[in-house]
Amino acid sequence: MVLAVEAKRLSVGYEELEELLWAVREASFEVGEGEAFCIVGESGSGKSTVASAIAGILPPHAVTDGELRIWGKLVVKGNERSYEGVRGRLVTYVPQSPGASLNPYLEIGDQFYHVLNNLYGLNRREALEKARAYLKMAGLEPDAVLDRYPHELSGGMQQRAAIALSLSTGAKILVADEPTSSLDAHLRLQIVELLKRLRVEAGLTLIFITHDMLLAGALSERIAVMYAGYLVELGPAREVLRKPLHPYTSMLIESVPVLGIKRPLKTYAGEPPGPGKLGKGCPFYDRCPFRLGVCAAETPPAKEVGESHHVACWLY
Amino acid sequence: MSRAGSTDLAVELREVSAGYFVAEGLKALRRKYVEVLRGVSLRVDGGERVAVIGESGSGKTTLLKVVLGLLQPMRGDVVVLGHRIYDIPERERWKVTRRIGYVPQDPFRALNPRLKVADIITEPLSRLHLPEDEKEERVRAAVKMVQLHESVLNHYPSRLSGGMMQRVLIARAVVHEPELLLLDEPTSALDVSTQAQVINLLNGIQERLKCAMVTVTHDLAVAQYLADRAVILYKGVVVEEGPLDEIVRNPKSEHARVLVASYTLGVSNPPIPASFV
Repeated sequence: MVLAVEAKRLSVGYEELEELLWAVREASFEVGEGEAFCIVGESGSGKSTVASAIAGILPPHAVTDGELRIWGKLVVKGNERSYEGVRGRLVTYVPQSPGASLNPYLEIGDQFYHVLNNLYGLNRREALEKARAYLKMAGLEPDAVLDRYPHELSGGMQQRAAIALSLSTGAKILVADEPTSSLDAHLRLQIVELLKRLRVEAGLTLIFITHDMLLAGALSERIAVMYAGYLVELGPAREVLRKPLHPYTSMLIESVPVLGIKRPLKTYAGEPPGPGKLGKGCPFYDRCPFRLGVCAAETPPAKEVGESHHVACWLY
Repeated sequence: MSRAGSTDLAVELREVSAGYFVAEGLKALRRKYVEVLRGVSLRVDGGERVAVIGESGSGKTTLLKVVLGLLQPMRGDVVVLGHRIYDIPERERWKVTRRIGYVPQDPFRALNPRLKVADIITEPLSRLHLPEDEKEERVRAAVKMVQLHESVLNHYPSRLSGGMMQRVLIARAVVHEPELLLLDEPTSALDVSTQAQVINLLNGIQERLKCAMVTVTHDLAVAQYLADRAVILYKGVVVEEGPLDEIVRNPKSEHARVLVASYTLGVSNPPIPASFV
């Protein structure tokens, strides 16, 4: 299997007020070609930072360490980053809020033209032809969309247009950062269905960022769970949902309200620590009901427990 | 604390239509009336937990504004805690609305950044003419009720996390022991684990105060935990009403069916965690 993404001890931090705050710490994972891979976590877990690192849109003041490869091409090595020929061409990105990311002053057709002209030098006619094909693929009627401004479209249509725009570059890795969180419940389902279909039709490798464990289970083959910048659990979606190993993963699963199933919502007191607020030891130490003496002193390393199921926890 | 009249009607809306005047044209010379609620009828008994469910633009927040006495409807009757609230002159309306607790939608924007948490939570008590020490006592009790540490009282909101801000908003809404608690999307800005904490917290408070609780949300699964009865709003019209469990099991209106179906995530065999069975 060819690896679409390969991260080795990848760390990403941001410099703020002369202080370096690590948002992602030594994450190692691989995503195979054509795979659907979900990164699950709450705000501040570092999941969006991983997405930005893969998509090549880390801000200039970000500091990196470790290695990241996209289709075998080294894009991050230590604090050196080079996404030339990768960003947009191999990997593309669907942002969280489509209304805020489409250019409000350009008609949808023109946005396609700008992207395709910049990347491949297509002329207007060629670009619009391509736009039609991708808009249709995303379930939109091209004639109803091409000469509209983003504000003239509904939220669901904006998100579809943004997805079509991302795919039109021909990139085979799609990084989607919470593409459904700003949408109403029934639109959420439509967008998830769309991504599942596009993955098959366009042969995409899908990297999906979400805070919703059950959505991750419905969409992906493998799930990575992040907490406070650490990758705490990684495994096949079914395994992670059925037999979560890390206490944080079980809490995430059991704190989600599920329609039609009424059970007490499990919570552990406290909230995820902010960036840079971590001391020694396990990041989940303060909230963990099963903590041991060793948890306070040392950060647990990732261990393989069961087939391709990894967890970073001293309980195992 | 028990209330003598807890079975009384907390809210009754009869055929309420309400909307906004929107400026039209380049120089905003004309104003156009856009109707948001169209003939909405709704009853909430004292001590009852009701959810108003709808997607963006369905009129959920407008409905709360009408109940709060902030938006005079074009037509229909609004009775809140036994008073026809729009028959009372605007300056006197606080005598009714002070018996309401309200948690607005976005915790990040709903707290005055220039006030300390203690002052924010004290505000609803300002018209109750209580002695200072009793006010302080009540504020401390409210902070305890929302499971915050007393030290946050001296902080400004900017130092708090989203979950803590939401707790401060809830403390402000319950410090005066309201008979009616209105919640506008109380968890949509929160992470899942914080959301579960806030849900459990709100139910604990409702049980203690025995107040009527109206939750506005677009999330049917969250509503399941915060309400027994639901009203489904679609484009300003009530399309379905009834016990929430019944609606989930057997939705009758087309829109409710779409809502319920959207939670199965379109997979025939979703991996259900072992702990659910």
